[in-house]
Amino acid sequence: MTAGGVGLAALLAACGSGDSGAKPTAQASARSLAQGEPVSGGTLRIGALGRASAITRDPHGTQANESDYLIISLLYDTLTAPGATVNTAPRLAASWKADQDVTTWRFTLAKGATFHDGSPVTAEDVVWSLRRLRETPAGAARLPGVKADNIKADGDSVVLTSDYPNADLPLMLRLTTFVMKKGTEEVAGAPGSGPFKLDWYRDGNARLVRNDTWHGGKPYLDAIEVKIFESPQAMANALLGGQIDVASNVGAVAARVAASRQDVQVLRRPDDMAMPIVMRTTEGSPYADPRVREALRLAVDREAMVKQVLSGYGKVANDVLGTGDPDFAKDLPQRARDLARARQLLQEAGFDLSKTYELRTTEDISGLAESAALFATQVREVGVQIKVVKEDSGAFWDKTWLKGDLYTTYWGTNDSVIFFASKLLLTGAGQNESAWSDAEFDQAYKQAVGTLDPAAREQALRRLQEIQHQRSGYLLWGMADGIDLAAPTVRDLPKLPGYGRVQLERVWLAR
Amino acid sequence: MAGALTALRLGGLLARRIALLAALLALVFAVVEALPGDAADATADRGESAADVARRRVLLGLDQPVAVRFLRWMAGLPTGDLGVSARGERVWSLLAGPLPNTLLLGGLALAITVAVSLTLGSWAALRPGSVTDRVISASATAVLALPEFVIAVALVLVFALWAGLLPAATLAGPDGTPSSWTMLVLPVLALAIPQIGWNARIVRGALADEARAPHVRAAVLDGLRPSRVLTHHLLPGALPAIVTGAATSTGMLLGGAVAVETIFSYPGVGALLAGAVADRDTPVIAGVVALTGLVITCVLLVADLIRSWAAGGRP
Repeated sequence: MTAGGVGLAALLAACGSGDSGAKPTAQASARSLAQGEPVSGGTLRIGALGRASAITRDPHGTQANESDYLIISLLYDTLTAPGATVNTAPRLAASWKADQDVTTWRFTLAKGATFHDGSPVTAEDVVWSLRRLRETPAGAARLPGVKADNIKADGDSVVLTSDYPNADLPLMLRLTTFVMKKGTEEVAGAPGSGPFKLDWYRDGNARLVRNDTWHGGKPYLDAIEVKIFESPQAMANALLGGQIDVASNVGAVAARVAASRQDVQVLRRPDDMAMPIVMRTTEGSPYADPRVREALRLAVDREAMVKQVLSGYGKVANDVLGTGDPDFAKDLPQRARDLARARQLLQEAGFDLSKTYELRTTEDISGLAESAALFATQVREVGVQIKVVKEDSGAFWDKTWLKGDLYTTYWGTNDSVIFFASKLLLTGAGQNESAWSDAEFDQAYKQAVGTLDPAAREQALRRLQEIQHQRSGYLLWGMADGIDLAAPTVRDLPKLPGYGRVQLERVWLAR
Repeated sequence: MAGALTALRLGGLLARRIALLAALLALVFAVVEALPGDAADATADRGESAADVARRRVLLGLDQPVAVRFLRWMAGLPTGDLGVSARGERVWSLLAGPLPNTLLLGGLALAITVAVSLTLGSWAALRPGSVTDRVISASATAVLALPEFVIAVALVLVFALWAGLLPAATLAGPDGTPSSWTMLVLPVLALAIPQIGWNARIVRGALADEARAPHVRAAVLDGLRPSRVLTHHLLPGALPAIVTGAATSTGMLLGGAVAVETIFSYPGVGALLAGAVADRDTPVIAGVVALTGLVITCVLLVADLIRSWAAGGRP
């Protein structure tokens, strides 16, 4: 078994140990014999959200649909994958090692990995796939700092050379580095090396069968049927009516409905979704003064937000992004509501309380617009007048995102502290939503990614989070749980936040 | 002579309807253009730089004026080319699976609408002023005002979630069509019920009007059986009004399908259309409008033929 298998086993053991989210039902616990050892066999029918207009089968395309991403992740292997105890677990790459200055990384491929047509996975295939990924429009963000020419094969290894020292390169390779055969021209149905093989595919629905020779070990399920659903309601109805076994990422509303049902498991994956409020930090923005941002962070009632916006399916956060990271600084003082201090800070900063400020939001995901409305009500208590402007999704991403003074955003790839730092917080980062620039923060980031020494890295990461907690442009009031509904027979669904939920190879069905 | 005239008239009518469809498509392009944001933005990956989005914008031809894009798209239409979506898929292949499913849904709903509303309307018309008549007329008025999605949600609640009799969602099988006929029942009902209300009233009204005609009175005075009066004297005269009602319902059924398909997760064009609007994906929206528009045009044409046949058949 590879180290990835060990990590996953540890994760699954952790899930089994009486997590508050998992509610074994009366029937299920009566059949507790079935709880013990995993058994092989059965077909898992899983529903996932997706829009018919956005369907894609390209592993390196823009995967707007969870259903597409799920199918692709079952068919194709990424080099590395999200893990529970470590941020980065092995997948197609069995191990990796950096050179002294942390710019050149060597990934050694798993022994015995083959494509579904029987041919072995070679380093050439991986290089071809990574280069293809790099050439996509979002390639620079998906393989940051690694030019296509700097991806090379060497025996059973792939060597990646980064433009700058990057200790977190293996982490950046987790989500989209799907490997296809070199020279694949027809992407639809091209063989992968993942735990399941394609049986049929039609209009976003697919049936996959077990890959008996998967390098990561034989999966338990005979087959997985992925069903695409336009709306969470329809998916929840299908689950309640017994048409599917799992409703993936179905949301809090469905969880509330299903909570009263004895024959449905409500499974919570903590730290799944961040819905922070972004305050623009540059000159000309009303929130340019760090004291104003601090005041708003003190004015929000985090418990009330979690309770009302997330129906309690979530937890309070502390303005630092990357809450699921094992390196997350849990010991930073939790910021709590302090209206007196908030008023004082606003006064010191000379914040104009006579004006009404706009908070722009969308209804892209459930709860987002509600969070804006509740926030506006809460900050009224310190005299800040906020008008919530609901924008159409298209207008929001076009006009407000990255540009507005005050808006809501969301990140479903709840990733590591370092991922968010590199994408959203570093000076000049492509998606620096609050236009924040902090020399000390940048310095801490460079230290963290420029070293392989664990102590030095830990120290730098700690410093990075302190600065973010203190003065970034984010107000992160809470983290929403990812919520799956499942039939009572479904066992060992992944508990990871974000895209970790697609790892279904260890799932089994009790009889 | 009369036949040639009719053909000429129908030809003119068809030309008018097609011109109307073209105008509608122009309107689609104009409206999508007026919406904030464009397809390049709406389909961008989050990691895409502004320069990459701009490059894709050129690739999609979105840097061209809307009139040019419209004319280019229309030029492909006669050859069956519906263009390419913002995500690079051929619109034709996007529609190939969902469109037949929607036509099946709409077609079944139309058939049930016509059958049930004819039955109920005739039943009521044969007993004017009776309790039956009043109950049918009142219920018809009540349901015709109900939006499809309200009916759909209620049907799911009662028949799928409480009673467990029928599936709540329509799942597609390997061939892309609903994997069981039972999955069609609730969506078809949700679509048909308001239209039954509307058409039952039309049938009832048209039959009542026709009943006042001298030849019908004569038939009744002759002592013919009520069923014979209905089939041989009332219905032929009321046919044009009834057919017009049913033809109007075709548009309403296809429109209502958008809401109903979402609730049942039905694999039709409704979901595709909703997503395409969110994506500002004009070729897909226009493709859906063109093909459904064509279907409606055909139905209206058939209605015209029936009407002219009914009128021609009368002394």
